[in-house]
Amino acid sequence: MLFFIIRRIAYSVPVLLMVTLATFLMIHAAPGGPFSQERKIPLEVVKHLNERYHLDDPIWEQFFDYCKHLLQGDFGPSFKYPSHTVNDLIAAGFPATCELAIYATLFALVVGLTAGVMASLKPNSWQDYLPMSGAMLGICLPSFVLGPLLLLVFGIWLQWLPVAGWGQIPGDKILPSITLGASYAAYIARISRGGMLEILSQDYIRTARAKGLSTSRIIFVHALRGGITPVISFLGPAIAGLLAGSFVVETIFQIPGIGRFYIQAAFNRDYTMIMGCTIFFAFLIILFNLLADVVLVLLNPKLRQEMSGGR
Amino acid sequence: MLSVKNLRVVFNTRNGTTVAVDDLSFELNAGEVVAIVGESGSGKSVACYSLLGLIPMPPGRIEGGAAEFYGKDLLPMSEPELRCVRGNKIAMIFQDPMTSLNPYMRVADQLIETIRQHKSMSKQDAHQKAIQALLEVGIRDAEARINDYPHQFSGGMRQRVMIAMALIAEPELLIADEPTTALDVTVQAQILALIKNLQVTRKLAVIFITHDLGVAAQMADHVLVMEKGILVEQGTTENIFKHPQHAYTRKLLSAVLTTTKPTPSLAQHTEPPFLHIAHLNTWFTQYGGAFIKRVVSRIKGVDDISLTIQRGEIVGIVGESGSGKSTLGRSIMRLVDTQSGEILLEGKNLLALSETDLKKSRRDFQMIFQDPYASLNPRMTVFDTLAEPLLVHGLATPQTVVEQVNELMDDVGLDRRFIRKYPHEFSGGQRQRIAIARAVALKPKLIIADEPVSALDVTIRAQILTLLLQLTQKHQLTMLFISHDMSVVRYLCDRVLVMQKGKLVEQGATEDLFTNPKEAYTQQLLAAIPKL
Amino acid sequence: MNTSNMPLEKGTSLAQDAFRRLRKNKMAVFGLFVLVFFIVIALTTPWLAPYTYDGQNLELGAVPPSAQHWLGTDTLGRDQLTRIMYGSRVSLMVGFIATAVALLIGVLWGATAGFLGGRVDAIMMRLVDVLYALPFTIFIVLLTVIFGSSMLLLFLAIGAVEWLTMARIVRGQVLTIKQQEFVEAAISMGLSPWQIITRHLIPNVIGPIIVYTTLTIPSVILLESFLSFLGLGIQPPQSSWGSLISGGVETMEEYPWLLIFPGLALSITLFSLNFLGDGLRDALDPRASKD
Repeated sequence: MLFFIIRRIAYSVPVLLMVTLATFLMIHAAPGGPFSQERKIPLEVVKHLNERYHLDDPIWEQFFDYCKHLLQGDFGPSFKYPSHTVNDLIAAGFPATCELAIYATLFALVVGLTAGVMASLKPNSWQDYLPMSGAMLGICLPSFVLGPLLLLVFGIWLQWLPVAGWGQIPGDKILPSITLGASYAAYIARISRGGMLEILSQDYIRTARAKGLSTSRIIFVHALRGGITPVISFLGPAIAGLLAGSFVVETIFQIPGIGRFYIQAAFNRDYTMIMGCTIFFAFLIILFNLLADVVLVLLNPKLRQEMSGGR
Repeated sequence: MLSVKNLRVVFNTRNGTTVAVDDLSFELNAGEVVAIVGESGSGKSVACYSLLGLIPMPPGRIEGGAAEFYGKDLLPMSEPELRCVRGNKIAMIFQDPMTSLNPYMRVADQLIETIRQHKSMSKQDAHQKAIQALLEVGIRDAEARINDYPHQFSGGMRQRVMIAMALIAEPELLIADEPTTALDVTVQAQILALIKNLQVTRKLAVIFITHDLGVAAQMADHVLVMEKGILVEQGTTENIFKHPQHAYTRKLLSAVLTTTKPTPSLAQHTEPPFLHIAHLNTWFTQYGGAFIKRVVSRIKGVDDISLTIQRGEIVGIVGESGSGKSTLGRSIMRLVDTQSGEILLEGKNLLALSETDLKKSRRDFQMIFQDPYASLNPRMTVFDTLAEPLLVHGLATPQTVVEQVNELMDDVGLDRRFIRKYPHEFSGGQRQRIAIARAVALKPKLIIADEPVSALDVTIRAQILTLLLQLTQKHQLTMLFISHDMSVVRYLCDRVLVMQKGKLVEQGATEDLFTNPKEAYTQQLLAAIPKL
Repeated sequence: MNTSNMPLEKGTSLAQDAFRRLRKNKMAVFGLFVLVFFIVIALTTPWLAPYTYDGQNLELGAVPPSAQHWLGTDTLGRDQLTRIMYGSRVSLMVGFIATAVALLIGVLWGATAGFLGGRVDAIMMRLVDVLYALPFTIFIVLLTVIFGSSMLLLFLAIGAVEWLTMARIVRGQVLTIKQQEFVEAAISMGLSPWQIITRHLIPNVIGPIIVYTTLTIPSVILLESFLSFLGLGIQPPQSSWGSLISGGVETMEEYPWLLIFPGLALSITLFSLNFLGDGLRDALDPRASKD
């Protein structure tokens, strides 16, 4: 088991390196320098900035320099706000994004699993069609359509919930979390329904029924284990989508999270910030994929033993 | 104990309504063993599943009848009431133990939950009882193995676990749905003996569902014969087998092959011998390892095998699963890679041929596969499937091919009108005929038949085997017949080769081998065949 | 028995079977009609649209739906109906073309890996695994920031993301089919690899490919709208539904129709594609469907 984790980590390091390199190259390949978008800057200042950011050094030297700093956990100073380091900005924005992502995931899991499992127990009945239609709705209403709609209805017309902010007015975390989590709830509902249906048609469920076990035991102890597997496989890569979704949700609801900072950095051409965030995101994605895979292995006794060296 | 009266079960699918069980009535007394025999579609499984309410009820429906278990009718029972019966009074074991046991749960937990569902018992006591149950079914190091997962057991052991699990709550009736069909013949013998043993010691009543008449004869006191949902005949084992009344019963019995080969061998001795295999090795390597892929194990599919086949012979290759018989067939067909050795077909080494030569030579040796559903391209019509080999090898032009395909259809006994139909529109037996037609289309010299009748119903089996005999005679074919079914081999083959774990254990003329087996393994194989 | 004078019985292929099942699926058929409707609109927009997409009417400002402007106008007086119609061109074009790119690369990659098997397969799929781990969406954001957003870039970038899953699916299918006995029979017959691929593999692999392609298109459209919403995709004055929605959000309170109509257009398109894709999946795989 440990081997498996170590091997995965070992594979991830080159991936992260590639991401760093790719990002680095892309930024330096951008037409125009980092300051060319701004109003004309006096040459003096440009020279000073180039020195400060080592922009005159050859590319590979800059890259190694950057990596060296990275390993120490230092993302460098922000281009746009030189008095702050990228670390500061990430640290400032991460808590909000993290919380948002957690709430969204919880919402997605609770709503999605309940709907999906319920639907799988009575296929082709209204208990199936209703949740699945809702799920289709969730998939086809992207967060940037759903969010504003919810805002319009609940924030402006009905005035039940606050329109913006995070943690300032009670209830302001509800709409953003639902907006971000909705499409994931939809996917989870469909996937868990499919997974459960497949498991429920397996022979060993028939055996469990033949043994006289109660329905709840059959569902929760026997079926769920296997039925959940596709959901876990889905969740790993879904983290990438959650992060991307946070860009939109934080923009709409004015939440001070990394997503919004990232988009702003993109528009402001804050290169160090863009690089730092990209690498940070990549790191998170790799971490969560690893976690999901570990959970998958833990759930499957056959894989578990193969990983531990087998018997 | 159990009295089934006029049971009627139907299935409503989008294709219409099928009557799976029609007016079935029978009785079972405590401690008795009854076998329900029939082919696929006979309704034997559906009937028993409906006793416990285990058929899927949306498409399925119990339309009528009663099933009285100690006086109480099971059919109208509610789910909670049925749950008290299932596992507790009436238990079931199923055909495939790998899929019928929960792969994610330890064996201990699966056993314990059964008993704790029906009897109040502490966890420790239940655990002890589970260990006892495993010992009783012959799993010796029960205490150590009880915490294992199903995939850590072999096929036979898994079935023992299933039996332990079924009997742990001490039911009075056991329904066994083809419990040994998926097992090797030697393992089957052990499991049947185990069931018989338990049946006697616990005074268990058993309903044994099977398509294998030999098994029925060995296990049951009474036999029910079903065809297409209808009970055509019932009686004591002796009566059914010695004095069958109904036409279908007689058809079933005649399809069970107890005879020796009806026609004499057509073997001709030639020099060089028709097929000579020298020191053939086909190994499969498994890679594994934490960081670097290294060789973890080698499975010897074919281990240093040498043999000689004469022209015109029908040679049977028998063995259990893992014996390598299929691998041998596929090695000769050059469908798998061999490591070393020679395969000399009429003096030409098949393993040494260049790509182009191999392609041309392939028409000399063809294969008939086991699964009639998977061996035909579902997107091609019968015509396309049969025309393809003819056109590819230039045996027909687009003008002549239609007539040649029609002749092939006649050869295998299929109606010419069907040539534009697709495989899924045919039955299993018909599909196998198409596959046979495809194999003989190229007028090959050698045909390797890999378990061609194992997936077919017993009555169809006989027809296909007769067809194979006819064709080998008509086209002067030499055939290698791979099978795990000894009685089929006895009917068809001139000589038999016995394989075990990749090695050739014994060979000889069929009758000699069957009446006087020399090796211990051969004797074991022959002894395990259920006798009528 | 000489039956050669009797008429041949017609067979029904699996494709015909699937078609029949699809026709019965009302939601899928509805989705198909809606899709065709949108395609027709997208194709005929230059002739059909009542106004030009960048024609401003500053005196008018933003007005709710009226007889002259069926879906209203935005703050610059531009007709929303026209802009949404042009938006459909953008979305559908990106959808189809980017999917085509993904299809081409993915099918070739996956089929080759699956058919050749062994080492080649391992290496090719390892590459896919590594690429899968990269945060592509984020890369695309980066790309559009740095290089500006041209249609070409969008097509290639989005196609580059989607081909990975396509490759995996195709490879999986090829592997499954390859192990079927009718492929072994084809090999035994002496068919060349090319003949086996074209006659036996591809016809049996096409089903899932069609299903997955139909389900990829809405993903792509969604991705493009997402980028446009953030201001990174199609730039104004060209109208993509995403940028229209973004504009609508800003003036949500006063002019809700600016948000609702583009949102509806996008959602309905996604709906129809998803229903169609689901319907195709159910039709081609009878086990997965209702009864």
